[in-house]
Amino acid sequence: MKVKLSYPLPEKRTQHWNRLVSALNWAFLFTAYICPIVNLTTGGKAWSVVVLWSLWILRSNVVAPALVEYNRISQFIKFIVHACVLLILIDVFLSPGWAVEVVPIVCFSGLIIAGFLFFTNLQRQKQNMFPMLGLIAVSLGCTIVGLIVWREERLWSLVVMGALAFALLAGCVCVLGLDFLRELKKRFHVK
Amino acid sequence: MKKRKKTESLSPFDLFRQSLSEGERAALCAFFNEFDTHCLLPRSEKERLKTDFESALLRYKELNVDLQTAVERLDIANLGGFYSRPPILWYALDDAAKIYPLSMRRGQMAVFRLSVYFYEDVVPELLQMALTFTMKRFPSFATTVKRGFFWHYLDTSKRRFAIEPDSGLPCRALKIARSGSQSFRVMYYKNRVSVEFFHILTDGVGGMIFLKTLAAEYLRLCGYPASPAEGVLDVGGQPTPEEAENGFKFSERTYKASGFVDRPALQMSGKLSRSKPYRVLHFKMDAERLKSAAKGMNATVTAYVLAQIFLAGRFATDELNGDMNIQVPVNMRKFYPSQTLRNFSLYCGVRLPVQDITSAAEIVPEIARQLSQKATKDAMSEMMKGAQGLVNAVRYVPLFIKAPIARLVYGFLGDKIFSTTLSNLGVVNMPEELAGHIESMDFTLGTALSNRASCSMVTYGNIATLSIAKMTADPSFEERLFELLAKDGVEAEVEGSAPDES
Repeated sequence: MKVKLSYPLPEKRTQHWNRLVSALNWAFLFTAYICPIVNLTTGGKAWSVVVLWSLWILRSNVVAPALVEYNRISQFIKFIVHACVLLILIDVFLSPGWAVEVVPIVCFSGLIIAGFLFFTNLQRQKQNMFPMLGLIAVSLGCTIVGLIVWREERLWSLVVMGALAFALLAGCVCVLGLDFLRELKKRFHVK
Repeated sequence: MKKRKKTESLSPFDLFRQSLSEGERAALCAFFNEFDTHCLLPRSEKERLKTDFESALLRYKELNVDLQTAVERLDIANLGGFYSRPPILWYALDDAAKIYPLSMRRGQMAVFRLSVYFYEDVVPELLQMALTFTMKRFPSFATTVKRGFFWHYLDTSKRRFAIEPDSGLPCRALKIARSGSQSFRVMYYKNRVSVEFFHILTDGVGGMIFLKTLAAEYLRLCGYPASPAEGVLDVGGQPTPEEAENGFKFSERTYKASGFVDRPALQMSGKLSRSKPYRVLHFKMDAERLKSAAKGMNATVTAYVLAQIFLAGRFATDELNGDMNIQVPVNMRKFYPSQTLRNFSLYCGVRLPVQDITSAAEIVPEIARQLSQKATKDAMSEMMKGAQGLVNAVRYVPLFIKAPIARLVYGFLGDKIFSTTLSNLGVVNMPEELAGHIESMDFTLGTALSNRASCSMVTYGNIATLSIAKMTADPSFEERLFELLAKDGVEAEVEGSAPDES
């Protein structure tokens, strides 16, 4: 059977990246398996939880990034959320007592930068608003819960986080108007 | 010296403009003024679109088409209001499309390809303009995939949709992650124009309407106008809501739901290739001969080709026991009066024990019996009901829970219940005025997970093209198929891509 080539010759693609990803996946899996065992055997603080989460951050950002909606806002928000969870884990399992102040600072810094990314390219980024709305909702929720739980301590960072989240939400609603509702309708459709 | 420097910095289009008479220059100026009112895209996109017009005008000059004719063909009114209105439309995925974004992996997604072969080489500048003019008629294709809280959806993307030279592997995965990225690609190579679609947008029937409309618009720009007919849409016409509807809404209450799960089928032997697909082959056959070979066995062309695929498949597997099961997509528009351009097809499986696959004459009656029993309105409606039931059952489950489960289940089951696929789009026609400019068409299914080959077929004029997307280097399947067809007097000319060894 003779085959007449009717397509341009495919470029010689190197498989280095694919091989590296495959190797990294196995390395992650091995580390994720071995760390808790070592941690349990040697005893002490649960450092393996922090290691596992760090591995997950590395994997989901570098080795297997999002296949849908990979844009500057979504990636940045993902990074902020991952970082906050990592800080909370470090606080809970390794060195307690500081996350309640630091995490809101990271969060409101994230809100400021996300707002900057959003409003400086509004026409394009309004279709990418959803991850930022997620962070706003989480920030508002955490502020309310935090202010109830730590009402004695008057945590300024929590207040700033809540105020910034509300301001950003109000900004989005004012600037986008009907588009804001349209965006919510799209994102929460069940059709 | 200064003057020479100024001339050197002029673009080819500026030079062209300078060469025009005063009247022509005024006409051109009016043309681009009108462009400004029809295009309100962001500046960079607008510049690119404007450059497309300039390139097309230059190309017309090279082709000795006078300016007035060129301007008439490229009439700015062809842009309609598409590029001047903000993007507000969005589309929920149809029930068949919902699985595609959930099951895709890096480098692997459900992509299919439709191609049209002209008698003359493609003029890229005019093809680009044809695509620009065609997009407004297919608003559900001018979209980008987005993630909702419960489901993915398609969000309108207003931009310049670009053609590209054909390169790399056919049916390779599309990059849909970036903001505004398109879920299809239009490519050209010599006399061929191909469109590769992510299945989330449409099925073979909808894709073929797009390709035919694009081809007709391209031929109009080449100076061969035709009235819309034979499934070619009027690019100046208004898109209708029916064209974007979810065909699965036709599901009737009277039917009971049927499941999708079946026992695993035999797979052809051969190591799965790293690159997907490994190779694409097109068997170009004389349609009349193929028809008479089928008639000789009292079978339809689909049943006859299925029989040959069963025989070739049996030859390509080392297994001695078990069933071979071939997936046959069924166009639901046959049963329900839908004009949708979205997905509206389901499938049935033709299953034979491997020991019974002996000769075409012996298996054709059984294949015909199964097709007439399984590809009926009742059976398909039951499956449609099942699909709808499944979608409804998980509609309120957030996507971040659904997605990993769906990926896991799809990875586990995948296409293991089928040995291969045969999707036959049937006979495709073009309006009479254009038919003479088109040589043939082909239709290629993209990658499968564990199937070693996926087959698809389309007939244009007297050329029936059977395409095989291979996922293994083992050539025994296609070689046997070639021999079997030749034995029945259906000599095939085989074309295709080079094996991808990377």
